[in-house]
Amino acid sequence: MSSKRFSISIVSLAILLMLLALTCTPATPTPAPTSPPPPTTAPTATPVPTPTPVSLASYFEGVPGIVDPANFGWPREVEGLNGMVTVPAKPLRLITASIGHDELAVSLIPISRLVGVGDPTKNAAFSNVASLVQDLPVITRDPETIIALSPDVVVTSPFFGAEGIDALSRLDIPVVQTDLAQGPAERIDNILLMGYILGEEERAIRFAAEVQERYEAVISVTGPSQPKPRVLALTRYSDSIWTAGADSTEGGVIAAAGGINAAEDAGIVSNATTSLEGVIAMAPDIVIIPQPVEFGAGDFRQSLLDNEALAEVPAIKNVQIHIVESKHFTTLSHWNILGVEELARLLWPDLFSDPISYEFSLAE
Amino acid sequence: MVTIAGANALRSYRQSGVVTRLTAGSSVALLLLLGAALASLSLGPVNIPADRVASVILSYIRLDFSAFTHTELLVIEQIRLPRIVVGALVGMALGLAGATMQGLFRNPMADPGIIGVSAGGALGAVAAIATGATGLFFLALPAFAFIGALGASFLVYGIAAVGGRFSMATLLLAGVAVNAFLGAIVSAIIILLPDNGALREILFWLAGALDSRSWEHVRISAPLILAGAALIVLLARDLNLLALGDDEARSMGIRVGVTRIALLGAAALVTGSAVAVSGAIAFVGLVTPHILRLVLGPDHRVLVPMSALGGAAFVILADTVARSLIQPAELPVSIITAFVGAPFFIFLLIKNKRQVYSL
Repeated sequence: MSSKRFSISIVSLAILLMLLALTCTPATPTPAPTSPPPPTTAPTATPVPTPTPVSLASYFEGVPGIVDPANFGWPREVEGLNGMVTVPAKPLRLITASIGHDELAVSLIPISRLVGVGDPTKNAAFSNVASLVQDLPVITRDPETIIALSPDVVVTSPFFGAEGIDALSRLDIPVVQTDLAQGPAERIDNILLMGYILGEEERAIRFAAEVQERYEAVISVTGPSQPKPRVLALTRYSDSIWTAGADSTEGGVIAAAGGINAAEDAGIVSNATTSLEGVIAMAPDIVIIPQPVEFGAGDFRQSLLDNEALAEVPAIKNVQIHIVESKHFTTLSHWNILGVEELARLLWPDLFSDPISYEFSLAE
Repeated sequence: MVTIAGANALRSYRQSGVVTRLTAGSSVALLLLLGAALASLSLGPVNIPADRVASVILSYIRLDFSAFTHTELLVIEQIRLPRIVVGALVGMALGLAGATMQGLFRNPMADPGIIGVSAGGALGAVAAIATGATGLFFLALPAFAFIGALGASFLVYGIAAVGGRFSMATLLLAGVAVNAFLGAIVSAIIILLPDNGALREILFWLAGALDSRSWEHVRISAPLILAGAALIVLLARDLNLLALGDDEARSMGIRVGVTRIALLGAAALVTGSAVAVSGAIAFVGLVTPHILRLVLGPDHRVLVPMSALGGAAFVILADTVARSLIQPAELPVSIITAFVGAPFFIFLLIKNKRQVYSL
């Protein structure tokens, strides 16, 4: 969904709802046979009154995976990477088996409806919602750990094994396998699809608006700003230096923050190993290290600064090597908007004086 | 008592023209090694023209050839050269150890990993990463890998020598068992480790690579590899006699037990040192001696030094390909060696089917 289209839709929705309020006619969602209407959540960013079914459909049209954007009743069908899946009723017990999916879910439904998470989601080094899910049971690759929690639906990533999906499907647990967008620009579709699967359309629209608003607040400044600095994302694990090229999460964050991804510019696609010589050849103006300090980010930064052979690289020469919060740069959820906001402030310090809000609204 | 086959082998060993083949082989191998090193020095993400590479090299002997920038000097001196030297040392170690193992086991499919060195090195490295020891001091990881590699080889040897009677067949089986056991521990650590960052470190180390190698890596590995290499080269003649069989070797005055321990120890030392600075690089120890045996014959006095030079050239060339193919990104060198080594191993399996079945 383009940002322009989304903004127009928000305005249309607001006008429509004002008219509805004047006539004192409450919005009536499509009847949901198996569950009451979802609770509404007071958003922290842009308050938007409850939309009508007609306006709802316009938001969900064209969202990949939604088969009938006008159907807000149950059962409803979605097309996952694992094929067509029918969600029979509004899921009250959910498992989202990847960090990115977990982070999205936490913003769309109350934590009480999330019945289990993977161990990485509880690890604060990698997960943006670790503190919220500490009390939840842990699921593993063994489908039995999921079955034991009796979820109504499982939403998972392409990395969840086909055998696991098969095992859950045989027990009539719907599994929707969805791919999460690499970059922040395409995140809205992920939010809307997740909201649709969970029967939380209104919350998804509000939350998508919140995320989109924050994203546009940055790109409206960084988009026209020139000249764009060359940014290189580097991490080091066991002497291997990794960078992020085209179609990487870090690359999407760099582009949105108004930088040129030096690795993409050099022809690197996705995440790949490079060398110190590669760093020289890519000549970045700024190096970011999206790696936790406890995993050696500080040592790596110092080794780059100390290496005489790198002395002429602009980023090293000008000491523009920044350790950034890795979970904001590598997550496949809306939390990488924070990465965009952080990097934009590093690249354009004069253009962003307001502090970053390190929070997103949560569902009640 | 010397058998007829043993006597024939001994005669051919004496009439083999070792010096001629050693000279010819060394000349070719040294040229290959030099060519590989020059290619590796000249290629990389930073474009340095060949004449400037040459001038940097010549500047070490105080010859002015043409001008070069300070950055070009540093790239060659601090990035490419140590990497080439580490690659050469690792290739040399693996080639030597492969030739030694194949000679000791009288089997062209034996490689240094057979005595648990690679699995032990992997366990040492994984333990260093999982316990956080890598953050305690520089080069902790290679140190742990080295201890693991040597520890595993001593364990294998200890099992084979239980009861005071050493058996090569038991050594082979003990190697299989210890490899599987240590591999299981590594797998268990990987699966149970809650720390994703450490997990990444482990996986990248296990992939085997030469990136970011420095003169420090040269300093810690060179003395051990060169010492082990010298011992193996000195014992190459004894390796020939051991290949005739224990009885024949004894009748020729070889102290079979001591010689075998010395060769196994030296092979473990060089392999452990190599694994410690490069991770597990597959197939070099298997492929290099075997190809050279086809060309130069089975005499270990020729085969052992040639395997050292050949292994060095092979790893340098493979690493040059690994870092040039998709630059400025690069592949782990073990991927390239496996691309060459795996098909060759399959070829060996088919060609030596009968020998494999008889093991």
